[in-house]
Amino acid sequence: MARQDILGEKAKEEFEPVIVAYCCNWCSYAGADLAGTSRFEYPTNIRIVRIMCTGRMDPTLVLEALSMGADGIIIAGCHPGDCHYQKGNYMMEKRFEYIKKAVESIGIEPERVRLEWVSASEGGKWAALIREMTEQVKALGPSPFRATANSK
Amino acid sequence: MSEKKEKLKRKSDATIDAFKSQRLRWVMGRSQIKVEVEEDKYKKAVDSIMHDEVERSLIKGALKEKGPLTVEEISQLTGLQSSVIVQHIIALRKNGAIAEAGEKNRQYLYTCVS
Repeated sequence: MARQDILGEKAKEEFEPVIVAYCCNWCSYAGADLAGTSRFEYPTNIRIVRIMCTGRMDPTLVLEALSMGADGIIIAGCHPGDCHYQKGNYMMEKRFEYIKKAVESIGIEPERVRLEWVSASEGGKWAALIREMTEQVKALGPSPFRATANSK
Repeated sequence: MSEKKEKLKRKSDATIDAFKSQRLRWVMGRSQIKVEVEEDKYKKAVDSIMHDEVERSLIKGALKEKGPLTVEEISQLTGLQSSVIVQHIIALRKNGAIAEAGEKNRQYLYTCVS
């Protein structure tokens, strides 16, 4: 087998997705912190961005992250009814429908974008979520933006 | 830049622009508070506005990049139908976002203003 084939196969096997997680300051960021302090193991493919509330999330943040090469996006907020600002997560829930539609219309699989509720006490849930999302994105392969950049 | 990448980039830029537009932000914002119309009807309206805004951003993007252009040229660049483009041009002209900029082969040329 040619050396290039071997390297190509290896590169395919070693695809490590980049997942951007927007976490709300009050619940999900604390949940992610708890996962760390509780020594839960989870993949290092995640890049956490702390925001004050998911209600603050502008849809363009998701679209811009994807267009800059992110393979997956997680938006994590407080459970419904637990929002520090009363209704930020409800706002996000509504907005998320349109974000998914927009992502799909660009030609990106909507499974790459997820909205999850993680509270400050759910370190285990956070670790499990990251593991699951990483596997899911790995199965989907690189984002079309990354794929086209590599094929240049 | 490959054609596929260029197309993807153009579409995503247009979608980002659409989400920055006042029109889409306003209706999306309304959907977060109590709406006194049927939810399904409202969602359909937001969907159609989103669709329109993305197409309009595509047209504006093409004009900014390679304008002034005729409807036919915009159609070739964006992949949208001429009849759809004409409808958007009427709306965009009304908003003052684009303007006529002479003629070419007996067709109006359009340029992006804002």
